[in-house]
Formats: sequence, structure tokens, C-alpha cells
Amino acid sequence: MGNSSSSSGRNHQDEAVDFGSLSPQWFTGPRDWNQAVVSQLICQRKLAPFYRPLEEFDSSWDDDQILAARKEPVDATGEAGAVEAGARIEAASANPPRPGHSRRPNSIKEPVKPEAAIYRNAVECPICFLYYPPNINHSRCCDQAICTECFVQIKRNEPTTTHLVSEPAACPYCVQDNFGVVYTAPPWRAGIGSEGSPFPWSDAPKASPSDTRVGQLTHKRRQKSFSHDSPDVVTTDQIRPDWEAKLAAVRAAVARRANRRIIMRQVGDRLIPVGVTSGRVHAIGEEGQTEGDNGGRRSRRRHQQPQQGFDQLLGTMGIAGQDLEELMIMEAMRLSLIEHEDQQRKEAEEKRKKEAEEAAQNRDTPEAGTSSLDVPSAHDEASAPSSSSTSNLASFTSTSSQPAATPISSSRTGSPSPSPSRANLLSSNGDASRPNPPPFSTLNAALTTTAAAAAVLGASSAPGAGSVGSSVNGITNVPTFQVDNAPTPAPDASSSSLDPHASNEPLPSSPDTDEHQFAKLTISGNQASNPE
Amino acid sequence: MASISSRRLAKELNEIHAQGCPVGIELKQADDFVTWRFSIEVMGESLYKGEKHLLQFRFDPSYPISSPAVQFVVEDGREAPIHPHVYSNGHICASILGNEWSPVLSVVAVCVTLQSMLASCKKKERPVDNDRYVKNAPDNPKKTRFHYDGPYLFLRYLPATATRD
Repeated sequence: MGNSSSSSGRNHQDEAVDFGSLSPQWFTGPRDWNQAVVSQLICQRKLAPFYRPLEEFDSSWDDDQILAARKEPVDATGEAGAVEAGARIEAASANPPRPGHSRRPNSIKEPVKPEAAIYRNAVECPICFLYYPPNINHSRCCDQAICTECFVQIKRNEPTTTHLVSEPAACPYCVQDNFGVVYTAPPWRAGIGSEGSPFPWSDAPKASPSDTRVGQLTHKRRQKSFSHDSPDVVTTDQIRPDWEAKLAAVRAAVARRANRRIIMRQVGDRLIPVGVTSGRVHAIGEEGQTEGDNGGRRSRRRHQQPQQGFDQLLGTMGIAGQDLEELMIMEAMRLSLIEHEDQQRKEAEEKRKKEAEEAAQNRDTPEAGTSSLDVPSAHDEASAPSSSSTSNLASFTSTSSQPAATPISSSRTGSPSPSPSRANLLSSNGDASRPNPPPFSTLNAALTTTAAAAAVLGASSAPGAGSVGSSVNGITNVPTFQVDNAPTPAPDASSSSLDPHASNEPLPSSPDTDEHQFAKLTISGNQASNPE
Repeated sequence: MASISSRRLAKELNEIHAQGCPVGIELKQADDFVTWRFSIEVMGESLYKGEKHLLQFRFDPSYPISSPAVQFVVEDGREAPIHPHVYSNGHICASILGNEWSPVLSVVAVCVTLQSMLASCKKKERPVDNDRYVKNAPDNPKKTRFHYDGPYLFLRYLPATATRD
């Protein structure tokens, strides 16, 4: 009888380790740790199982009081095992295996309930203030108790686009880096991995098992700390092995954003955002190279799916409208633009006229300064004479450490080589960018380093904005407003962006130096009129 | 079932009721596990002698893993103490409320820390970037990522992520 119940008991406990669970008992937040790793560590007895905690504990309690004090496990979403495992333990332990022994005399006097006995000398977790069996994890550094439930919640700070580093989680008690815990399993085993090991309370009445065996579990303060790379230590990184990938993803997103440009078109005295370029360097580089000076500029737009890009841009503008800091940056850029306008307007005007004449001769497309708002597509590019459009392109590159305008997800369908990870990057961009508007340092950067900037503010609410991307092709004077969001400035961006007279230089090969020639300011709007 | 933050706060509250607050700190409001308020007063000789300020805690469900949002109340004629780490909107630049928060800290521990922050103040003045910060500050100080360096910790701030997860 005893043997059979023993084996069946083990089957019942296949989700349980030492009367604890493999999954959390009260934590209801997102389980963003690697549950498989955690389960394995629990089974290896390197991490305490998730025990049902006691709300309170008094050493005078009997078994029934202890069991009654146990917190009901939460029915976590998709993790129904928690409740069942607990129930299984009870079912199994209600009939503890006592091979070859009559349970009658002892069970009356001392009804050993292992699932209660494990709570003898219960320990309060200093973080959640709940009580756990004394076989609890201890911090590797300062030997403080911490329950597994709290341990799995401690993690690195998520990297953000403004904070591109990820420091290891620090010990909540002594603030030492590389937080990790050490677990000393009880001398007995139950549930998973208990094959062959003696059952803790299997009929040793004479030795008073709960006193001797459980008593051994009382934690002896250890003298030395463990190194974080000790094999006995479980670190927060171990149960979140994806932290490096996350960091890399954020960095990649920022790098992408660094190469992204907002393209503005001049309409009257305003700049209208018409889209966003690719963040992928190679695509721009290839295309820009083959087209020569003028073609290089246009090639940025070639990748656009104008309508989509603009929709997204509008969305971004909406965000910007809500975000004061972004507004401030844009305003700063606008002021910067005005500042430089005087110097540049004259030259730009002359050039524009000249070019417009050429353009008019060369093709039947609307002339510069018309109110059409659409985006030239790649087809225009091919058909438009390249020389005519050069001088009217204005681009401004601000090398700020943060996106001056929130990164715009450029979902250009025509992209020749869509990067497989784009969706991820875009979504992470979106997530990261909204809550992380540019810092003030960006404002400084914008003020000091931006040679000229466009009235993005005004553009966002430009009356004609809705028609952008409609039909007309081959606009010749399309100022290109390029915002370099690179936290790590692109090689040439800082220098080239500041030089408004750098136009007509040979097209450099890198996309960043490519900007160089764009620094032709064609904004001829009156300075006094605020775009907004 | 109540979240763990409520459990823990209930225990902290029990402890406050049982043992009382440290000198100079009084529990003013703890009707729920969302917002608590304490009055805080620096005892003994200090620049803040005779001043009593109201400190507000806001908790989210991930407390104590994530820090509470702590600030001085500046409504109803109340003012934040004038201190180089306290903005006029009540926001406090203290590392333990930000990146040095530890779940081992408690509400009372925060109160005591801030009390001693005031007590050790040498000169009553606002943070140098007070006006700029207050103008654009988010409602929840936790959304500000303060930059802590040295005695003047607020030369720069970065808007932090909107929510902690």
C-alpha cells in the first residue's frame, strides 16, 4: 500500500519540486523571464521552487494553521498549472508513503503533513513580506533571503533609445552589481528529481523527522559571498538570456533611425513633410551613387511610398504636437533656419530661378513654387532631368543625439531589399520613441549644430497637407529636410550639415556625405511669418 | 485577489499603525493602496525649522519592485520646500526614488531619507534648472529621468520611458 501510494504520489507531483511549483504563485505581472530556464533551475535545485507563501507566520502554529495561512495561488493567464500543482501536492501528501509501517499509531499523535512541515522556521522575504519555507534563495553577495517570485522580477533596466546601455541588475539589498542568488536545497527531495532519494518524512517517527531534518534547513549565515560567475549562482541575466538581443535590437533601431531622413517639400514658404527615407545605409548608398549629384537627392525619395510615409509622418507630427519638447526642438530648428535664411536666401533665390527656367524648358511638369504637394516618385526621377532640380533641393541635417522628430516608420513598399527585421525594428522604434522624446541636450544640439531647419511645426498643419502624394510628379524645387537622428553621429553628418554652401559638390559615396550637397537652402519664405 | 503591492502596503501600514512613524513624520492619508500622504517636518535646528510639508506617494501595482512616485504636494497653498533637489512643482531629484530605488526600501524609509535630505541642506535654493524643468515636467515624477551627479543632480534631465513594465 505504501509503495503504491508512493509511486502514485510521485506521478501526481510531476509539476512539483520539493512541494513547490515551477511557476509563480502570486505574481500576476508579465512573465518576461525565460520560464523554461527557471523551471530547469528549480528542477536542478539551483533556485528555490515557487512556494505558496504564507500571509503570516507564527512558530507556534500547527500544521492546519500553516496550511490555512497559505496564499491561494493565482490562476495566472495561461499558467493553470499553479493551482493544479498545489492541489496535486495536497492530494499526494494527504497519503504520505509509509512503506512497511502502520500509520495508525503515529498519525494520530503526530500527523505529519510534509506540505505543512516545510514551512517550519518559515522565512519572510524582505521584498514581498510573505513567508516561505526556510529553503529560500539568498543573495550571492550579502546573503539576504529573497523568494523566487521576487527574484524573477528583478532584471536589468530595459535599454531605451535615450539610454543605450544595459547595466546588470544590482542587488536590492547591498546594491552590488550582477545580482544573483544561491540556493541550498533541503536534504530531502520530493516531486521532480526525487527518484531514489529518501522521502523526507517517510516513517521515521522515532527520530522526530520534522525536528531533525527540517531543522537542518535553518539558514546558517555564510561567511563569504559568491562571485557572480560562480556555478552555484543564478543571476538575473541567466533567467533572461535575451537581454543582449534586446539591447542589440534597440541599438540597431537607433542606428537605423540615424540614417533616416524626413523629406520636406517646399510649398510657398513652407516645408511640407512628404516622407521618410530609408534608414538602411546600403540602399541609399547604392542608389545615390549611380545617379550623380542630382540623382542622389532624388534617390532618397525613390524609396518612398508617398502616401504611407506621409500618413505615418502625420501621425508622428501628432505626437510631436503633444510633446512639448519636440515642439521646442522644432521651434529651435525653425529659429535656426530663420537665422541662416538671410545669408542663404539671396543665393538660393537666384539659383532657384535659374534652375526653374531650365526645368521649364526641359519638361512639362509643374514649376517650382506651385502648390502641388505630391511626392515625386521614383518614376519622376527617371523622367526628370536631373540637372534642373538640383538647386532647389534644400536639406538640413541636424546631428542631434536624439530624434528631432520622432522616428518615422518608413514603410516603403517599394523598398528593394526589405530588411527582414524591419517589423521588429519599427515596432521597437515606435515603442521607444514615444515615451522618449528628445532630451534637452538635443535642443542644444539643434540650436548649435543645425545650420538650417525647416518649419516642421507649420508643416504639420499645412492646409494642403492632405493632398500630398496625390499625383503631380517631377516637382523641381523640393527642399529636402533631413534630420539626422544619430546618437552616434554619422561620419560626415556633423560637418556637412552645417555647411549651407556645400551644394554642387561631387556626390560622395556614403549616404551621410551624400547629405553634403543637399545643403542648399531654398527656403524663401518670409521670416517674420511663423509657419504656425 | 489583491495585488502584491497592496499586500505589502497593508503590511507597511500595519507596521506604521503599530509602531508609529519616526519623529517629525506623520501619516496623513492612506485610504487606499494607491496614494498615501505624510507630513514631514525637520526636527531640531535646520533651515526648515517650523516648516511642515506634505509628501505624497503614489504606488503602482509593481511596487515594491518599482519605486513609488514621490513628490511634495504643492496644491491648496502648500509649497514644496526650497531645496536644491526639490523643484517648485514638488518633484524631487533623489536617486533612491529613481535608479537607486530598492524594493527593500519602504515608505517610511523614503520619508526618513527625504527628511534627512532637508535636514542636511546648507542653503535654501531651488534647483538651477527649476524653471525649465517645471515648465515641461510630466505629472508623474517617475516619468522624469533625473541625472544624479553630485550635490547638484539636476543639470540635465531626460524624459524617461512613459511606463515601467
